[in-house]
Amino acid sequence: MQPTGPTGPTGPTGPMPPRQKPASMATYKRLLRKEIKRKAIEPEINFLNITAMLDMMTIILVFLLKSMSQSSASLPQSNDLQMPKSVLSTEASQEGVPIIISKSHIMVEDEAVVDVPQDATHGVEAKYKRGGPNDLYITKLGQTVKAWRDTDRQIRQATGKDASGSEAIVIADKDTPYRLLVEVLFTLGQNEFNKFHLMVLQSNKTGGS
Amino acid sequence: MADEKLSAAQRSKIRRIANPKELAPDEEGGELNIVPFLDIVTNVLMFVLATVTVTFTATIDTFPPKAGGSNVRPPTTPVLGLTILIVNEGFSIKARGGNIAPGCDATGQGLAIGKSSDGKDYDFDGLKKCVTHLKKEFMSSNPDSDETSVTISANPNIPYQAVIGTMDAIRKGDDNKDLFPDVNFGLAR
Repeated sequence: MQPTGPTGPTGPTGPMPPRQKPASMATYKRLLRKEIKRKAIEPEINFLNITAMLDMMTIILVFLLKSMSQSSASLPQSNDLQMPKSVLSTEASQEGVPIIISKSHIMVEDEAVVDVPQDATHGVEAKYKRGGPNDLYITKLGQTVKAWRDTDRQIRQATGKDASGSEAIVIADKDTPYRLLVEVLFTLGQNEFNKFHLMVLQSNKTGGS
Repeated sequence: MADEKLSAAQRSKIRRIANPKELAPDEEGGELNIVPFLDIVTNVLMFVLATVTVTFTATIDTFPPKAGGSNVRPPTTPVLGLTILIVNEGFSIKARGGNIAPGCDATGQGLAIGKSSDGKDYDFDGLKKCVTHLKKEFMSSNPDSDETSVTISANPNIPYQAVIGTMDAIRKGDDNKDLFPDVNFGLAR
């Protein structure tokens, strides 16, 4: 059998065959496109597209965090402050300065203003009152809410609302003695607060304790 | 030219280029791998839902006591003028200037509504019945009246929960009609 090799079938002594002349660039590109198209794999969805679900969950999370931070549910329910229960099911009002009466402090917008004594059946201590132990006006609380009232009056005038009085949201502990409650309401009333929103927890039972 | 032949090098290059590329596992789909992020979000969501106690709040609207004085003109129409005083033993009720006697049927001395039989809890149901009865009697003689205001006062040591319970009891009757939803607080001096 005649050996074949790089030199061709004619043998080592024969002439070298001419090299194949490359095709033109246009032909090359046309055939390349054709080949790419032929070998292309149809894209198949082999994974779950969870982007939409992720969007939804993120929106729910943001909504929950935002609504909870705004609502009174964010109020810490501790031994120091447990709101009373009521059968009332109306929506809680959000307008007004929040006045918190816990077992230890009276607070205006999260700032402790006056200490509440252990036995508050006679209200706050006499040193905080304008005219001695029998007075109902709490001086320091009055100063704080007066500043708030002045600001609120200007806002109400600028926005065209009734500026004759302001509103207060009273968040008091369920064991707050009536005397202390009245002292706070009296002080607010003296500083042109003409509407109080007493905040309660909704319950099914009347006088639920 | 359709009959033009490719050279060996060109054929080889076309074969190499036309072969689809193998994608790395993390490149598949051509998008960011957000599964770990999704895990975190789910965990946070579950944690928030499980730990936050959902509490529904409401507000009871009240107004400061109206100032009275000698120059205030007396009302031209009869008024009930309901006043409830919460004391340690129960409820003392005043209406039309007189003290309501026990049993809630007539005026006289004593507490209108005592505490429950065990002496621990306030009898809010009894208070509601009494107030409903008083309003019904008053309305029968004054059908044009629509008085809904009441003054609540209490001993200094009465807890806030008892005051709220009292307001709940007299707000609406059993027929869901308004009794006395407008509350003024009396100043216990």
